[in-house]
Amino acid sequence: MSESRPKRGASQWAVAWRRFRRNKSGLLGGAIVIFFVFVALVGPFVVAYPARSYLSLYEGDAGTPPSFKHPFGVEDSGIDVFSETVNAAHNDLYVGLAATLITTLIGVLVGACAGYFKGVVSDVLLGVIQMFFVIPVLLLILLFARVFSVLVFKGLGLTLIVLILAFFGWSGIAFIVRGETFRLKEMEFVQAARSLGAGSYRLLFRHIVPNILSPVIVIATLNIAGFILTEVVVSFLGFGDPNTSTWGLLLNEGFGYVRTSWWVSLFPGLAVVFCVLGFNLMGDGLSDALNPRLRE
Amino acid sequence: MASLIRYIIRRLLFMIPVFLGVAILTFAVGNAAGNPIDLIRAGLRNPNPAVLRALTAYYHLDRPVWERFLYWLWDLMHGNLGVSLSGRPVISQIGPWTFTTLELQILALILAVVIGVPVGVFSSKHQYSKTDYAITTTAIFGYSMPVFWFGIMLIVIFSLWLGWLPSSGAVSVNRPWWGISFLDPIAHLILPTLVLTYVELATFVRLVRANMLEVMRQDYILAARASGLSERTVTYRYALRNAISPVVTIIGLGFGAALAGAPATETTFSWPGLGLAFTQAALTLDIPLVEGITIVITVMVLIANLITDLVYAVIDPRVTVQ
Repeated sequence: MSESRPKRGASQWAVAWRRFRRNKSGLLGGAIVIFFVFVALVGPFVVAYPARSYLSLYEGDAGTPPSFKHPFGVEDSGIDVFSETVNAAHNDLYVGLAATLITTLIGVLVGACAGYFKGVVSDVLLGVIQMFFVIPVLLLILLFARVFSVLVFKGLGLTLIVLILAFFGWSGIAFIVRGETFRLKEMEFVQAARSLGAGSYRLLFRHIVPNILSPVIVIATLNIAGFILTEVVVSFLGFGDPNTSTWGLLLNEGFGYVRTSWWVSLFPGLAVVFCVLGFNLMGDGLSDALNPRLRE
Repeated sequence: MASLIRYIIRRLLFMIPVFLGVAILTFAVGNAAGNPIDLIRAGLRNPNPAVLRALTAYYHLDRPVWERFLYWLWDLMHGNLGVSLSGRPVISQIGPWTFTTLELQILALILAVVIGVPVGVFSSKHQYSKTDYAITTTAIFGYSMPVFWFGIMLIVIFSLWLGWLPSSGAVSVNRPWWGISFLDPIAHLILPTLVLTYVELATFVRLVRANMLEVMRQDYILAARASGLSERTVTYRYALRNAISPVVTIIGLGFGAALAGAPATETTFSWPGLGLAFTQAALTLDIPLVEGITIVITVMVLIANLITDLVYAVIDPRVTVQ
């Protein structure tokens, strides 16, 4: 057949990209995120000192302020703050991304079931989702981290923190997915698929879930920021893994000698702020770009 | 009215499984922390067998886990939170901490609402102006910042470098140079309140602004304008009332999150409240104390949520109908 296919309109992702590209703060966020991902992947191979190394101590530098050799200064224990901040970027991004991946999977699954099915299943799932909203999650995260890292699962390190964060962090996505599924399941395209004989599984994961990816992507992006912040709090309070470089652990050590060495608190904190800011700006930008109500 | 009462009862009933869920989680984790007798025993060279027997009986350690949980829950219902490892009853320790925590949290929450709502409205009315950019930028930084880190930076600047404000505690141990007693607690409140307010403010401003922008596009706003109402009436009587109801939910959830975040803020400022006590108790594995604080904070969060639900129902009566 020689006739050309009818020209298709731009896909919704192309439209979203075009809208995102015009959003300056969203682009700035994206650039910050790319920068941190680059630092996390390449940084550990480039910096002068390996993770958790006290080598500066042997060079006579301990508690020295920022200088050309040590741009972020040195901890009193002899850890070079610049190298450690870069090394920590890797681990903090790992926590943020891994926890987000797990919570997104759980959240979509639970939310879709809670929104699609009727009766007891839906009521119970909604109850569980709402329960995770009101319980003091951070307190329980700290408690879990303390008890399980010290006593039960030694050596799991950061992965344990990821699992704990994920266990307590999936309800936000689940709630949104539930609402959207509830809205979509009565719409014509789902009815049409149902009348063609599609089963529940196919309706849910072929027809409904692909149509709620936009809010899921936005919340997942914002969740990365949230998980990084939570991990920072956990490590800052001394509930994290003391053998893995994280920004929170640096801040924990810095707080111990904040009176003499302010630079140990300042620079890793700035890294957290800008990394989290990047994900938040990008999430906001995506939210504007993917929101059909704002489409002109 | 009847629907409102039914709504309240429904919310109260919802709290029972939530409370039980937290109780089970807390008890299970506390139980996983190990045998409390081993912890007490670790400090003793020759423990008295009679004492150990008495402790075993006291903690019901000869009974299965689920039975111990019921004993614990029974005591909990009767206001008995057990005895901390320091030997003092948990409930008598928690009282003063709760007061200090609430003092800080409620002050910050009130300030954040009082400042946040008008600033958010202003920002939305002047969308894309220089002030709007300044406000949204300040807000997103507050939103992206670890609360405690902002606190540390303020301590470095205002306590260590400038020496204007105290860096820790709720009152001075030594008589400060400004001497006057009633100013002393206020001076201690300034930095922690500032930090907490800023972070909560950031959330409120963003939300109020976004909701106002959404609402101002609605047809009924156009109708209100067309019928010649003043801009002030349209903004505050028509738009804000509809834009504020999601904010009420966030105030409730945010208060809960701030309470749960108390360990970080209170540790930073050595603020003698539940959060600091929780951090120290969890680090020393003083499980009865940890369980007690978790339960008390959970109850406070649940009460805050109930109040939120009530306010929401008053502002937006539609929620009571289901």
